[in-house]
Amino acid sequence: MEKASLIRVEHICECHHIEISFINSLVDFGLIEVIISENDQYIPEYQLNDVEKMIRLHHELNINIEGIDTIYNLLKRITYLEEELNSAKNKLKEFDIE
Amino acid sequence: MEFIDYYKILDITKSASQNDIKKAYRKLARKYHPDLNPNNKEAEKKFKEINEANEVLSDPEKRKKYDKYGKDWKHAEAFEQANQQQGQRQSQTGQRYQSGEYAGEDFSDFFESMFGGASGAGYRQAKFRGQDLQAELHLKLSDVYKTQKQTLTINGKNIRLTFPAGIENGQVIKINGHGTAGVNGGPNGDLYITFSIKNDTKFKRDGSNLHLTVDLDVYTALLGGEILVDTFDGKVKLKVAPETQPGTKVKLKGKGFPVYKKENSFGDLYITYQIKLPTNLSQEEKDLVVKLKKIRENGKS
Repeated sequence: MEKASLIRVEHICECHHIEISFINSLVDFGLIEVIISENDQYIPEYQLNDVEKMIRLHHELNINIEGIDTIYNLLKRITYLEEELNSAKNKLKEFDIE
Repeated sequence: MEFIDYYKILDITKSASQNDIKKAYRKLARKYHPDLNPNNKEAEKKFKEINEANEVLSDPEKRKKYDKYGKDWKHAEAFEQANQQQGQRQSQTGQRYQSGEYAGEDFSDFFESMFGGASGAGYRQAKFRGQDLQAELHLKLSDVYKTQKQTLTINGKNIRLTFPAGIENGQVIKINGHGTAGVNGGPNGDLYITFSIKNDTKFKRDGSNLHLTVDLDVYTALLGGEILVDTFDGKVKLKVAPETQPGTKVKLKGKGFPVYKKENSFGDLYITYQIKLPTNLSQEEKDLVVKLKKIRENGKS
């Protein structure tokens, strides 16, 4: 298996001083996916930003996994609504409706 | 440089206990944390302010100095010298957040002047993620019809980027790791590019659909015929049905704008017919129109 774009979960735990159980909980809640290869757990690189954000929310704001899940759902909704708003604004501009 | 009222920032009184400070700080941090307020400059500014207020008020030494000199902070230097013998900080400050959006070293001039920088012994080791960078890229609508490869110079570094066709005006894309470098081995920030797309064409864009108004002469509208219509990537021949009414819309499937990040997928082109009536009629034309009018009126009666 190609491991160049995978990061070992253990390494992330060491760097951020977190327990592996935290990562496992994120996986249980469907917030992230891990890849298991040769008894080691890996996180795809594209998920690293999200994982680090979740670690910050947990450690810095004392938000539990349920809270992180809720926040992520709301952030996704905000992103969707922002895109809709942008698209509506563009439409109004294009069709000269103010 | 103005005095900063840290108590006011945290919305607490001067008699607030360490627990009150911690509670007030956590409450505000949850509200303004940049992870919860992406691309919100106001929240980022507020977050920096509350971090700085907490940095001072949660550290008994700093709080003491701040309370003692307060508005008279310019004389704090004498206090500093008198206390130099005490060496390093005696106590660890309270929890301080290191948001992903927040480089951590960015304190106000007031703070720097009074306390000489953020980093006490405990913070030198801390890793900070680099700050995110914001950039605006101006393109023409005709540019984003096809996938673009562009080299941008950000912070003196050339970055070669590929922008998929179909990007929207105002759309923001994130380029991971191309923000400011991290501190003490922390990860780099991200680069956010906002696209400002100017329409340089006669088409009106609505997402991946395009709209175009086409003039139709009255004879083709009445009798039908064939016309050549501009699409974004060339011309197409279009059949016009007899007795076409003004404002009639025709959909040309797949002749619109590329769908963002969906290769070979295009929106539709909507053609609206605008019937152009002839002007400067000759006497013969006028006579024929009158004749036509009479035929129409007689036919109806």
